[in-house]
Amino acid sequence: MMSNTDDIRWVTQVALLGDKSAFDKLTRKYQSPIRRFFLNLTMGDGPLSDDLAQETFIKAYLNITAFKGLSGFSTWLYRIAYNVFYDSVRAQKVYADIDEQQIDSQHQTQNEFSAEKMDIYKAMKILRKEEQTAVLLFYMEDKTHKEIARIMDCPLGTAKTYILKAKEKLSVYLTQAGYGNK
Amino acid sequence: MEINNDKLLKDFFGENKKEIADFGFSQRVMRKLPEVTDHSWIVWIFGAIGMVLTFLAGLQIGVIQYLFRLFQIIPQIYIIVGVFGFSVVIGIAVLLNQNRNYRII
Repeated sequence: MMSNTDDIRWVTQVALLGDKSAFDKLTRKYQSPIRRFFLNLTMGDGPLSDDLAQETFIKAYLNITAFKGLSGFSTWLYRIAYNVFYDSVRAQKVYADIDEQQIDSQHQTQNEFSAEKMDIYKAMKILRKEEQTAVLLFYMEDKTHKEIARIMDCPLGTAKTYILKAKEKLSVYLTQAGYGNK
Repeated sequence: MEINNDKLLKDFFGENKKEIADFGFSQRVMRKLPEVTDHSWIVWIFGAIGMVLTFLAGLQIGVIQYLFRLFQIIPQIYIIVGVFGFSVVIGIAVLLNQNRNYRII
């Protein structure tokens, strides 16, 4: 089991010595959670998720000296991922301009995860973007309220409100969909 | 009710939580990383400062003078073998480290 101590050691090696092999270890360790985070935020768009994840890791590499160790490396990386995602949304307006039905039909055929994860994507659609991010970080990525506030750069109370509202909406949705009875 | 909702969501997200296999993703990231300036000189600077400080501290408390007297007492062959042995060990370590870096990058 790799610890946060390993993260600090690898970050130091990258920042001081430009050691790419240390960054490779960080990438291998965090590729799965970061790609999963993007996959859920983009409603299962695998290629877009991978592009955003790649951009996240490259930005992390270029700005690694800015990591002060005040929060864990994982939290810092999610913070970058969050910014990359919202920059992408703002720049391309992907989700505002493209017909969501069209996205759904594309993903059903293109993405290996879509078939089994349609439930979660449908559930995510009833939430606002901030609520989606907060609830995914809380329940899927096991982040604390404090870490979520840091990642989303918002007050702790706001992060808690996002999660609470998302929880209320999702509970009603899942109960109505008969999820708890399965 | 609140606890039930929490459990419901934990179960729901837990069921949908999947590990994503790398499938060459990390390699693609590594290939796209831009070259950055070598900062290894920082290590040498701090190393040199550390050595100077240690030497000055040694002079202050008399350790250096003691070592100097010790070198005058012990047979010269020991010193020669020690210096050569140290150089050989460091040289091998540097070579191995370089080979490892070339292989990974």
